[in-house]
Amino acid sequence: MDRDVYVIGVGIHRFGKHDISRRDMAYVAGIDALEDADISFKQVGSLYTGYIGGNMLDGVTYAKDLGLTGIPVVHVENASATGSSAFRQAVNDVSGGVCDVSMALGFDGQLRGLSTPPPVAPRPTMGSNLLPAAFFAFWAVRRMHDNGTTVETFARIAAKNWNHARFNKYAERQAANEITPETVLAAPMVAYPHTAMMACGAGAGAASAIVATREIAEKLSNGRPLVKVAASQMQSEVYQPGHIFLGAIVGPSESTRITANLAYAEAGIEPKDLSLVHVHDAFPIEELMYYELLGICPDGEGDRLVAEGATTIGGRIPFSTDGGLIGRGHPGGPTGLAQIWDITQQLRGESGQRQVENARIGLAHMMGAGSVCVVHILKREEH
Amino acid sequence: MARVPVEEGYFRIPEEEGAAPVLLGSFSPAANTYFWPRRKRCPISLEPVQDCELSTEGVIYSWTFVSMPTMGSMKADAGGGFGAAQVDLPEGVRIQAQLEGKQGDWAIGQRVRLTTRVVGTEANGDELVTIAFRLAEGGE
Repeated sequence: MDRDVYVIGVGIHRFGKHDISRRDMAYVAGIDALEDADISFKQVGSLYTGYIGGNMLDGVTYAKDLGLTGIPVVHVENASATGSSAFRQAVNDVSGGVCDVSMALGFDGQLRGLSTPPPVAPRPTMGSNLLPAAFFAFWAVRRMHDNGTTVETFARIAAKNWNHARFNKYAERQAANEITPETVLAAPMVAYPHTAMMACGAGAGAASAIVATREIAEKLSNGRPLVKVAASQMQSEVYQPGHIFLGAIVGPSESTRITANLAYAEAGIEPKDLSLVHVHDAFPIEELMYYELLGICPDGEGDRLVAEGATTIGGRIPFSTDGGLIGRGHPGGPTGLAQIWDITQQLRGESGQRQVENARIGLAHMMGAGSVCVVHILKREEH
Repeated sequence: MARVPVEEGYFRIPEEEGAAPVLLGSFSPAANTYFWPRRKRCPISLEPVQDCELSTEGVIYSWTFVSMPTMGSMKADAGGGFGAAQVDLPEGVRIQAQLEGKQGDWAIGQRVRLTTRVVGTEANGDELVTIAFRLAEGGE
């Protein structure tokens, strides 16, 4: 990147199945980020809004609630990676000198079309043959065949993320008591071997992040450590044997390895340097495979990480510390920004019960169906 | 009443009674690679591709049974669910589609054969069909 870029403010509106309007959620998350940064909207030089549902005018319309300052406002849409893509655009604006402060604001209602059938059935197409639940189940069944992975391993990952969400008051899923793998396995089946408690939440929500130059970040730090955007990478697909071109697809899985390696090189770090990780854990098979594709452990050894509890808060390398897609929830627009929200708080040491001890470097990974992969690495800097 | 593909350009239905649908693919001489559905040009070499037809049988790469196709839902699907598979054809192409039968019938590596599945009806009464798989004879 040309200029160093720092996260100076993050904001969020609670995820979940509620009746609060997308516009109100966006406003709450946007103001929360501005207050966290301790700046006025007048200081923001560009705004990227990320959402999947709704009207094409919503982004620029909702921006008026923050102020009429004349800045460029652009709607970004990239399936599940929408929020991550909006954040990357904001980072690029500051890095490239377009402006000194840029903002990303993601919001969405429930993921209709994936979460609920449409009121009028559309004419069937070849691409609508199967839905994402089937696609990730294919990954899981193949993994069980090739590696001997058990359904209990998937259940342990899901239970971990439900329990991480218990420490995040903004998460969609707020279990009253600790969730056990047995509870996860007893839930109704979605697509073998995944049960309903292994599937991501699909409620509403909003999240925001503001980035700026180092000079501005230092002025606004108010004694807090700086959070540097050490890497921002995005890749679309390259051909792999068995490549699938049609349907609801996220992959090929190698996209994660390719994008992460570019990010590690940009940040000048190795996987062992990470303190915490967020991934596109729509189903636990994804989180399991990303342990390996992100280089956290050698290929085929992800199951052992789960058995050892290494990816739980308090473990060697915690994953999905705010609950992830499974626990925090997964509206397409804000999810990637919720990851930035959590990692920023973790690196500042502001995460309360879900705090990762001595968190220094966090990685945020998202897949967007179609497909794209986005990876950001954030790094704590003292000053 | 005829049976017509739900979308043109993906497969054709032979006139012979009981014949499997034939997938319409592309072959890239430059990359020596087959694709489905048809490509406008080779995504690997960026060179021109040739139209081709693909095999009607393959082996299961992976499978599932979808009970609840609505993500985030805790309610079972009223339709009772369906099987689905990713299938590798001899040309190296992987296809995903619904799979006839019930859970317990299938295993990775089994031979399956293309078939059609009715997904709707045109105003003139024609049946709209898409592709599906069923176990091939001797594939159990």
